[in-house]
Amino acid sequence: MELFDCNCWYGVPKTPPLAPAETVDDLLGELGRAGIGRALVRNAAIWEESPEVGNALTTADCARDERLEAAWGILPPHTGELGDVHEFLDAMRAAGVRALWAYPAKHRYLLNATAMGGMLEEMQDRGIPLFLHRREMPGAQETYAVAEQVLADFPRLHLVIVAHGSWGEDRLFRPMMARYPSFAVGTSRYELDGGIEDLCRTLGPERLLFGTNFPETPMGGPILTLLHAAISDEERELIAGGNLRRILEEVRL
Amino acid sequence: MINDTRLAEEFVAHGRVDDCPVIDTHAHFGPYQAIYFPRWRPERVLDTMDRCNVRWLIMSAHAALVDTARGNREVAEIVAAHPDRIRGYWVINPNYPERLQRELDEFDAHAQTPGQASSPPAFVGFKFHPNQHGVPLNDERYHPALEYADARGLPILSHTWAGRGMSSHAEVREVAERFPNVRLLMGHAGYGDWEESAKVARDHEHVYLELTAAYSVRGALEIMVEHAGSEKILFGTDHPWFDPHYGIGCILSAYMTDEDRRNILHRNAERLFGLPLD
Ligand SMILES: [Zn+2]
Repeated sequence: MELFDCNCWYGVPKTPPLAPAETVDDLLGELGRAGIGRALVRNAAIWEESPEVGNALTTADCARDERLEAAWGILPPHTGELGDVHEFLDAMRAAGVRALWAYPAKHRYLLNATAMGGMLEEMQDRGIPLFLHRREMPGAQETYAVAEQVLADFPRLHLVIVAHGSWGEDRLFRPMMARYPSFAVGTSRYELDGGIEDLCRTLGPERLLFGTNFPETPMGGPILTLLHAAISDEERELIAGGNLRRILEEVRL
Repeated sequence: MINDTRLAEEFVAHGRVDDCPVIDTHAHFGPYQAIYFPRWRPERVLDTMDRCNVRWLIMSAHAALVDTARGNREVAEIVAAHPDRIRGYWVINPNYPERLQRELDEFDAHAQTPGQASSPPAFVGFKFHPNQHGVPLNDERYHPALEYADARGLPILSHTWAGRGMSSHAEVREVAERFPNVRLLMGHAGYGDWEESAKVARDHEHVYLELTAAYSVRGALEIMVEHAGSEKILFGTDHPWFDPHYGIGCILSAYMTDEDRRNILHRNAERLFGLPLD
């Protein structure tokens, strides 16, 4: 079973985490120690500075090791910083990028149909997943309200919320999973005892993507929790990496 | 996987290690306000314990954070049903001073373990939650309970968290100095103020760091081991909030020795609470 981390990063943010991973080598060392075979990776410059800078840094660093796959940040096409929608998709195709992140609070835009409609429609049609970090917007209610509106407008979008905190958020994300078949959450902070097993039973194993939230969170917690969750090996394999591999393989650029 | 030590190898392979039992020193019981729990009922608690080789679990009732009398009674019943696996903390709510006095009077009676005269009592000590009750740890409304515990050398598990004025290392230090016989467990290890909290545990033999939620901040454990030593750190999970495997996995990821991990997972709590590990 190969672990495919959907949520880890490296770089030099303005406020470093307690135990930083400043370079891609720091990240690779920890992936090796933990036994994680693949990772969808981003440089902190994407949200701390701008996707204009961070996307290129991420792609350059990820080219150094086949375990790493670069993910990019997006901005509203109207300001043209990343080109128009089709120029941006061309750049993704050229760089082999298949997954995107949005930081609407840090980058100060509205993640909705008005600002991002053209982009989100292409992402939905092309199967490109969009990741949101649960701590990016100030609160749980706001994050899920934004996510719900995006899914209401683009119900087939692969939207993934990662790194909800230690307060379980099942009451927030399970109703959305029930309504939107392509909505998923990351497991990095899914610490709830029996959560994985209970969610697999009620909503199926496709709604969870293994992730570590490294370097903020230790890799061992989400690994040991998934390895010994009371689910079948087929379900475990999907959460560990099968779901993410399938989503990325089905991306049409 | 996770790291290359024997403990990691065995936890990865089996989810439990026979010669490394776990004592969960910070657990709860029952449903609660802001979160859904699939595994709070007693039979599921015991199943989780078996899957991770949690030999003992020490719990307070969520209900007791709201209504101490009802919640503490609930835990007394669970301990009576599982005297060889579960112990309780007697929750103190300083917002109800008359009830508090009455409940301190009842504590001794409840403290007797059903049918096991030689092993530790049903309630090992008190649980304080300054943040949930809105009363700072150093507020004199806690004094009746602190004096009672100080006279008997009882453990108290308190929620502790960064930010002066409620339950931070500063309030813990003040209480520890005033009540030197209370064995004070800093729940969540003073979350956020890692080094200052570890130094309170270092400076006071009777102060311990408890790991619930703190383990999921990468780098925090290493700071605790450096400044307080692994002999002052206790394992806990807030069960049913968190899967013990999550906490154990984080401890396996931290840079420390397997001896440190055994101190944290069971040795320190075995000594502190006198709970047998046979
Ligand atoms: Zn607690």
